[in-house]
Amino acid sequence: MSQTFEPKILAFLCNWCAYAGADLAGVSRFQYPPTIRVIRTMCSGRVDPSHVVEGLKSGFDGVFVFG
Amino acid sequence: MHVVSQLLEMSGIGRDRMQLRWVSAAEGQIFADFVKELSALMGEMGAFDPDEYKLKLAAVEGALNSPRLRWLLGMDRQLTERENVYHQKVDDKLYRQLLDEATQEEYQKSLILEVLRDGPQSVREIAEKSGLEIYAVSQLLSDIERAGLVDLHGYEGTTPKFIRLAA
Repeated sequence: MSQTFEPKILAFLCNWCAYAGADLAGVSRFQYPPTIRVIRTMCSGRVDPSHVVEGLKSGFDGVFVFG
Repeated sequence: MHVVSQLLEMSGIGRDRMQLRWVSAAEGQIFADFVKELSALMGEMGAFDPDEYKLKLAAVEGALNSPRLRWLLGMDRQLTERENVYHQKVDDKLYRQLLDEATQEEYQKSLILEVLRDGPQSVREIAEKSGLEIYAVSQLLSDIERAGLVDLHGYEGTTPKFIRLAA
């Protein structure tokens, strides 16, 4: 019970920027929490406001957009 | 994004549940730091219960899909930096104000429409369920009625009941 709450987060990553950044973070072995579930988009401009709402609707605790 | 976070704040979901950050392909460390920082923030905010906010989420979605916001969104540079067809430029602040007002109104209208999904209701009932002021509901309701989305369903005693027309 003493476990701290681990949020479930939906992350939209731009293929050319943040996705590569995340890749680099992985390759370089930078530690970061396993809270995000990634959806790769071809551009962060592709993310529609309704995607954010849909994410929250489906039970994610938060939505990130990384461009 | 400004509009979305405003809608999330208005609906009580909290603007912090959506975050936008810029990370380049060369910034692995920055990416890791952002995820760490924002995950901690989300952890503090606690779990999000979509059922509790079902009505609010639907209203946010409805507002985002409203023609008015769809027209206004993305027009900022056209209107504030370039000109409209009358060669008039709109002040940045004025545009923001306009957008904020439209966002709030569309959200509240959408909220009323969502509440009316449960069948015909009086202004008082709508106000209770939506958490809006009775006066605001009655004003917005006449707006929506003019747009042809709700109609007077009938009277219960002397209380008028309204019904949603569109799907």
